[in-house]
Amino acid sequence: MLTKKIARFFTSLRLTVVLLAFAIILVFIGTIAQVDEGLYNAQTRYFHQWMIFGLDLFGHKIPLILPGGYLIGTLLLTNLIFAHVYRFQLSVKKIGIQLAHSGVILLLVGQLATDMFAHESQIRFVEGETKSYAESSQDYELAFTTDVGTNTEQVVPIPQKMLARGGEIKNANLPFTIRVKSFWKNSAPSFRAPMTQNAPPTTTNGVAVNFDFSPTAEAKTMDDKNVPTALIEIEAGDYVPISLGDWIVSGWTADAGMIESVQQNYARMAGASLANQIVGKLTSPQSVFVGGKKFTFTLRPVRNYLPFTLTLLKATHTVYDGTDIPKDFRSRLQLKNSRTGDNREVEIFMNAPLRYAGLTFYQYQMNAGQMAQQAGMTPESVLQVVRNPSWLTPYLGCALVAAGLIVQFLFHLVGFMKKRRTQ
Amino acid sequence: MKSSSPHLLKRSIASSTLAVIFIVAGCKRDDVNVYQVAKENSAPAPAPTPMATPSAMAAPVQNENSQPQLQFVLPTGWQQIAPSQMRVASFTVTNATGPVADVGVIPLPAGEDELALVNMWRDQMQLPALTNATTAETVSIGDAAAKLFEIASEKPLIDGKFRGRVLVAMLTRGATSWFFKLTGEDTFVGSQKENFLHFLKSVSFVENAPTAIAASPVAPTQNANTGGNSIWTLPADWQSVPPSSPMLFAEFSIVDNAGGKAGVNIAELSGEGGGLAPNVNRWRGQLGLPPIADILTRSFDVPGGKAQLVDFTGTNAKSGQPARLVAAIVPQNGQTWFYKLMGDEKVVAAQQAAFIKFIQSAKYPDAH
Repeated sequence: MLTKKIARFFTSLRLTVVLLAFAIILVFIGTIAQVDEGLYNAQTRYFHQWMIFGLDLFGHKIPLILPGGYLIGTLLLTNLIFAHVYRFQLSVKKIGIQLAHSGVILLLVGQLATDMFAHESQIRFVEGETKSYAESSQDYELAFTTDVGTNTEQVVPIPQKMLARGGEIKNANLPFTIRVKSFWKNSAPSFRAPMTQNAPPTTTNGVAVNFDFSPTAEAKTMDDKNVPTALIEIEAGDYVPISLGDWIVSGWTADAGMIESVQQNYARMAGASLANQIVGKLTSPQSVFVGGKKFTFTLRPVRNYLPFTLTLLKATHTVYDGTDIPKDFRSRLQLKNSRTGDNREVEIFMNAPLRYAGLTFYQYQMNAGQMAQQAGMTPESVLQVVRNPSWLTPYLGCALVAAGLIVQFLFHLVGFMKKRRTQ
Repeated sequence: MKSSSPHLLKRSIASSTLAVIFIVAGCKRDDVNVYQVAKENSAPAPAPTPMATPSAMAAPVQNENSQPQLQFVLPTGWQQIAPSQMRVASFTVTNATGPVADVGVIPLPAGEDELALVNMWRDQMQLPALTNATTAETVSIGDAAAKLFEIASEKPLIDGKFRGRVLVAMLTRGATSWFFKLTGEDTFVGSQKENFLHFLKSVSFVENAPTAIAASPVAPTQNANTGGNSIWTLPADWQSVPPSSPMLFAEFSIVDNAGGKAGVNIAELSGEGGGLAPNVNRWRGQLGLPPIADILTRSFDVPGGKAQLVDFTGTNAKSGQPARLVAAIVPQNGQTWFYKLMGDEKVVAAQQAAFIKFIQSAKYPDAH
């Protein structure tokens, strides 16, 4: 009886209608919420959730409980699959409906797979620089690196989410405990200029000697990003814990894009020479010695290592004559893969990405051309790197739905024509 | 029974699908995935750029060991405090309601753009940056002519109630620019300007002569100081350096002929300064040693009482190098002075006697 009730519930057309109604409401609310909360926050709060408790719309708190995107999507998919399985009839007449439903299932499964497995990151390099990793544009990790010989280092990356939870963090590969004393999702650095500083530093170790960090409001717009900062204590010792001091770890110290903005800000205020000195103090590595080993630690954008290297040979930024309107962004790269033996030049420009090893490299940003030359900058290029194993599913899903509808329409059309002829 | 098989199959397919969907959708990616990679500096070097090579930009701001010592006369109401990072001297100026102004003396390499510096102070006062050269008053620092910049905020900056004001006197001597900065509440700083100018006039520079400080004719009275160093007679091979922490009263570096290094730092805390055990165990922690409950100390005579001495050998927790630490705790007039000699074992062994003699030479400011 229970299984029948469950089956009846999940095959119900009413469930489909209710879920679609909730989906419409959710899309509406999620879209409006982007105005106040920004794209990423709205996505996380409304679509990447199972349940939503309370809404913030137009500056007002609304006490409402709604199913989140995950729950609606999962129930829709379950509903569709149950209906398909229980009402499946192998007949030529139904083939159009079967195809259309399969297409919708593929779209939903593809979206789930995209959410699970798709990944976007960036590679930022200047001309002549070689990179073997891409970096996340949103997420950070506290990476502890230590030398393990033969020109190799071991990396223990602590995800930002673990820092945000606070408390103690232990890992079998680290001979010490990390205690998170405070964590700010977004923060701002301020140089403790000897000519201006008055208050004592947060801690007398590492970057905190030269920089103060303060919490700031979460980023809301696409142009801003959250740069986290944490105050941690590192504690070593087998039996009796010995503090190795408090340390500030901040995304500002290792995110090339944000470091560039700090440099430009101080260059405007105090000149390039002083700005470079200030940035040098911001990016100085921090480390502790435990058990005879040196552990260097940095809060940096999450890295995804690639099984090959890319070297930026030439970054070209041309504009239409007499204007600042971009005409062409173009990166010429050397691709080397020691496993496959690939060693070739490739070119990436607008609407012409490189697809290689399951990744797609798009031309994203460029700091080259006349303006960069005038500023004395080495030309720089930023590539957007997308890994989406299910990138074909929307195309296949739509094709199946279209084919199903066409077949269904043709069946009806042929039947109608036959009926009309016989009359 | 005939119809049960297809139904069973359908139920199995449907329930398996349901389970898979929920399991996959519920997966979380929040793990620590340890990996090994080639060292970054083993990769081909990137092209030089103003942004991408921070190590190239980490030029030292100052050569700490080549600074001359300062002598000056403190105005009434000014009190010397432990200098914070990069300062060689710090003072607080108080009135009946508490500390309301801060004075700092900072040496920096000469050659920085004057407008850039002014804009940095303007930024501190939350004023927009200037694009053209600013005017400065001419004042005297010792016998030398110097520039005085005076910048006041337009908005209340202090506790959201009071406007701020900064007076900065700038003097370039050789390769170093000296900044004397008075910061605080607008009207109070204005009232202290006269004292500030007298203080500037009293300043004199004693070139590279830390040992000569002790023989300086300036008596260690309440109104005459030499950056705190007049309290002790310095051993000849000790070099005064700006304290690396605002907690420290003074700091010295020692380098022997073989290049061995050690450092001496001194902190002054009120009362018992946390007590013997926590401080001794804190020092042990700096050598990677576990805390101990029973602490054995040696004592030696100092003016006005006895000092307790501890001696440990271990591994410097910051550098990973073998190190020895000799430290002394000296109670004095309701305060406790903490002296620490730490560094290479050979250097510490050679300097231990000088360290004790140094502590015994102290003439504390409040001693009677």
